[in-house]
Amino acid sequence: MQDNTDPRILLVDDEERFRTTLAKRLKGKNFEVADLGSGNEALDYIKDNQVDVVVLDIKMPGMDGIETLGEVKKLVPGIEVVLLTGHGTVETAVEGMRDGAYDYLMKPCEIDELVEKINGAFAVKKERDLRLKQAEDRSRLDKLEKAVRF
Amino acid sequence: MGMHMKRKERAASVYSIRLRWHIIISYCLAAVISLALIAGIIYFEYRSSVNERATARLVSVVMEHKGTIENFLFELANTMRMVTLLEDFDNLRQQDVLEQVYAVLEKEYDFAFEDLGVLDLDGNHLAYVGPYDLMDRNYIQAEWFQDVLEKEMVISNVFLGFRQAPHFIIAVKQTNGQDTWILRATVNAVKFASLVEYVRFGRTGFAYIVSHDGYYQTRSRDGYRVMDHVAPDHLDLEFFEGVNFWELKQDQRNFFRAKTWIKDNDWLLVVEQDVDDIYGELYLLRQNALIFFALGGILLLVLTLMTMKLLLRKVKLIDAEKELLDEQLIQSHKLASIGQLSAGIAHEINNPLAIIGEESGWMQDILKRENMQGIPEHDELTDSLREINQQAGRCRKITHKLLSFSRKMDATIREVDMNQLMDEVAALREREAGLSSIKFIRDYDQDLPMIHTDSSQVRQVLFNLINNAMDAINKNGEISLSTKKNKDKSITVTISDTGMGIPQENLTRIFDPFFTTKEPGKGTGLGLSICHGIIEKLGGTIFVASKVGEGTTFTIRLPLEPSVTVADD
Ligand SMILES: [Mg+2]
Repeated sequence: MQDNTDPRILLVDDEERFRTTLAKRLKGKNFEVADLGSGNEALDYIKDNQVDVVVLDIKMPGMDGIETLGEVKKLVPGIEVVLLTGHGTVETAVEGMRDGAYDYLMKPCEIDELVEKINGAFAVKKERDLRLKQAEDRSRLDKLEKAVRF
Repeated sequence: MGMHMKRKERAASVYSIRLRWHIIISYCLAAVISLALIAGIIYFEYRSSVNERATARLVSVVMEHKGTIENFLFELANTMRMVTLLEDFDNLRQQDVLEQVYAVLEKEYDFAFEDLGVLDLDGNHLAYVGPYDLMDRNYIQAEWFQDVLEKEMVISNVFLGFRQAPHFIIAVKQTNGQDTWILRATVNAVKFASLVEYVRFGRTGFAYIVSHDGYYQTRSRDGYRVMDHVAPDHLDLEFFEGVNFWELKQDQRNFFRAKTWIKDNDWLLVVEQDVDDIYGELYLLRQNALIFFALGGILLLVLTLMTMKLLLRKVKLIDAEKELLDEQLIQSHKLASIGQLSAGIAHEINNPLAIIGEESGWMQDILKRENMQGIPEHDELTDSLREINQQAGRCRKITHKLLSFSRKMDATIREVDMNQLMDEVAALREREAGLSSIKFIRDYDQDLPMIHTDSSQVRQVLFNLINNAMDAINKNGEISLSTKKNKDKSITVTISDTGMGIPQENLTRIFDPFFTTKEPGKGTGLGLSICHGIIEKLGGTIFVASKVGEGTTFTIRLPLEPSVTVADD
């Protein structure tokens, strides 16, 4: 993973206009953004594309945000998720954090707050990816060392 | 609050007037009726027993005196018969013998005999002993003399005779061989009358004798003398057997009269006693009973009034309690439904609001681009969009509060030291308060037990109330914070300020969502309704009391253990 790439965001919300406009704005803030209208589409997307942070609406028809979160974490554990909550879903959001979400935000939210959360999530992911890479390198080195000895 | 208070006052006044009179009247009526009944029964029972006793006494007096009088007369007469049997006619007609006999009789009968004479059948004295010179007197015309010739022995009626002193005659006819003669004695009627007249009992008890033809034989009570005739209609002289008794009224005098015929139905013995005399003690009793009755009545009245006062106070208390409960119930129902409604609205508005926010944000983003800097009215557009954003933000705050107000509580129940919690919250604002010369006064119960509740939610409530208090004071004042342990497994927390107070008409609406007296945009009117919701969900209650110009006190009662509604997520 290159250090200087823009964070790749996947925005999932059933409100189309909200989603597309927010996507445009985030793009303007130097994020690489994709936006989708349902959990299923999101799961299909992450199978084929690299995503750093998913911004996920909890209240959606069909597969809701929490279910989607579980599936995402199952498919690609390294992806960080920021939840967007609405009516009566704060508890759910906290629950979601137990299930591995990075944080949550109440809708409607300030763009700056969202950017901040996304950056935080991205930083966590980047750090983890870095450690993962270092660990992989080390293990490769170890194998090499063993091979050399014998 | 105004209407509410009026209703309460009216309810109270209904109690204090209608109920009070109802109780007073029925209590007193019951008391007076039973008292009167008891007094009446006792009085009449007693009266009839007094009556019976009086009757019995009068009858026994009559019988007793009938015996005494008849014995007395019979004894005198019998003595004279004995004299005629023991002494010969020839002896007795001698003056000295008669004198000896008279001396004995006079001594034995305590001067009852005034004189003694021996008469022949023509009514002439053969011998005479006595204080008067009656030797030559002839009695042939005297009624008693006629009688004694027929009856052998006679006791005459009392009469005055020529000596003008009441007396009567006892005469005995005796035959010795061929001589038939008569021994005659005069009996002092005064002496005899004393037997009757001295009969006194009670205050007015009196006895007298009337002859069968209506002449007083002894003095009457109302001033008639011996030999006076009975006033017409005053005494019934019909013959009867035994003792006659009744109550009657004569000359304004109420009295009992008992009478019986004595001396072979010749004389009527009459005993009288005034009703007042007989019932004297009864009248005294009646007077005492009346006093007792009056005192009892007063006592009962006082007791009734006291009982009623107590009762009314209790009723009022219960009523007030009920009213309060009703009020709380209505309030929480109201809040629940308003909460539901507003949450629904908030939810529906949230998404459009989010879109508005994003769209205006996007336009701002565009306007910030370099190639947009030169367009006309750039600044106006920027300003307008900023305002849209700001207003959307304001809406967002409202909907967020609404949602937090209505959302189910995620209560984390922990052991909480309320004193410490109060201090924590107060500390957040105390420095700032100091700048406005607002002083915090703490009055904590040092023995306050730990309570199990959600500290963060309670903190939110306390923070809100302290903020309100500071707003109410503005500058220069005091905020009192106190905690107290209650008897019923709960604690009370009060937050009082010396601020401007809340007008009556606002007090009942103060917990309603969106109720605010602040300028538009300065407050959402949700703070207190959220506080109310939190405290209620924690199983407690929150009250407000306020007086304009003096300040406001919020009183929170929280249970030591949260009630079940909290667990119901
Ligand atoms: Mg949605």
